[in-house]
Amino acid sequence: MNFTFILFVLIVVALLILLAWALRKPEPRNAWRVKPASLEQPGPRHATYLSLIRQALSPADLEFLAARGSPSLARRARKERRQVALSYLKELRNDFQRLLRLAQVIASLSPEVGAAQEWERLRLSFRFSCRYQIVRAGLYSGLLVLPQLNGLSQVVSELAFRMETAMKELGERAVLAAKLASSPGGSGVDIA
Amino acid sequence: MVDLATAQSLATAQRVCWGLSISLRALLLCLVLWRRNDRSFPFFSIYLSANLLNALVVVVSYRVWDPTSPVLYRVIWGSQLIVSCARALAVAEICRLLFAGYRGIWSLAWRVLLSSAALVLLYASLVSKHQWGFAILGVSRAVELAIAAVIVVLLVFLRHYQVVPEPTLRSLVIGFFFFSCFEVLNYTILEHWLSAYESVWNFLEVLAYMACVLVWTWALRKSLPQLVLRPALLPAYVYRQLSPEINLRLRLLDERLRQFWRAEEPRS
Repeated sequence: MNFTFILFVLIVVALLILLAWALRKPEPRNAWRVKPASLEQPGPRHATYLSLIRQALSPADLEFLAARGSPSLARRARKERRQVALSYLKELRNDFQRLLRLAQVIASLSPEVGAAQEWERLRLSFRFSCRYQIVRAGLYSGLLVLPQLNGLSQVVSELAFRMETAMKELGERAVLAAKLASSPGGSGVDIA
Repeated sequence: MVDLATAQSLATAQRVCWGLSISLRALLLCLVLWRRNDRSFPFFSIYLSANLLNALVVVVSYRVWDPTSPVLYRVIWGSQLIVSCARALAVAEICRLLFAGYRGIWSLAWRVLLSSAALVLLYASLVSKHQWGFAILGVSRAVELAIAAVIVVLLVFLRHYQVVPEPTLRSLVIGFFFFSCFEVLNYTILEHWLSAYESVWNFLEVLAYMACVLVWTWALRKSLPQLVLRPALLPAYVYRQLSPEINLRLRLLDERLRQFWRAEEPRS
């Protein structure tokens, strides 16, 4: 066995793994399909619960519990708060992914696409995903204190608001396309 | 090394498989022409014709020339290279059909696919044995590896943009992919264990191709009058306006996450 032989075998194995990944069924959570009904609600759902989450994460509450209650109660409260923070972080990422999906749908349905824009989005989503995993690991391990998620949520909300107008148009066109496709001889129509 | 009895039984099995394989290729080509799918896949049809012709050339060449003749070597490998090029064109055609209607991402995809193919070709050629006797083997393997890599990049691209591939086209590319992967491995083993492996490698190749032809036959069993449904495209300004805006927001979001990560102090 020499280097070339092992190299080509590894390349083929890597290609097979990539093929399996590309052909796998999308997870229901991430499968944001281009259906007219789904286009009517493109914005983030979880960012709107920010005030409640902030209330739940308030340090004053924790101090109060530590002072007045038992240590076990404070520990339980901290644990539950961490769960809340983790759930919130997860849902924020879902919102982020939904918005990314929208961007991908817009790109796929556009007559022209900028390579630089697409490359940058790919790079950003990869970096965001890595950071998200690191923050999540930090919260799980207890190395990070409960986060202030205000800024993170705000950005997602603003983006959703700005995109809503464009998505309405996309939804109308998708409905029209679906009608045309379902009518006899209606396939193959480009309404752009 | 295989013994004489094994070699003889292998040669018999190989002859049977050759006959079966040529029949299946002819059947597939007839099916494509009968169903008028050659209109949807002109290059794929040319590839099937070239492949069938190649098989017949090989059979005739072995009868005309001595197996050790250098003329036979050149004829067989030369026709094999022509078939590989026809296969590359057929794959390119299917790539274009998979993106039919998605003008924007296709304009991006074909550049990415072509670059990937060029890089893989270059790399595979560089790492091959630099001996004249192995040159054709190295080039053939590089072409096969480029085809396999292009197909994977294509499917990853489709998944990224959530374009669901048409089932017939997907079956065709999967057939091409598995055959190309098999060829890469087969050529690699042949390159390293030439004397011990030469009696089986051609037999295995024929078997793999037969499996591939069966997949294609199943995929093309019906006519495909309207292969691709064109999606309704958005006006160009939607992307031009929204894409930079989305990227800006994503950059901000990423920056916030970075700050959020760094600002937190370890728990005391």
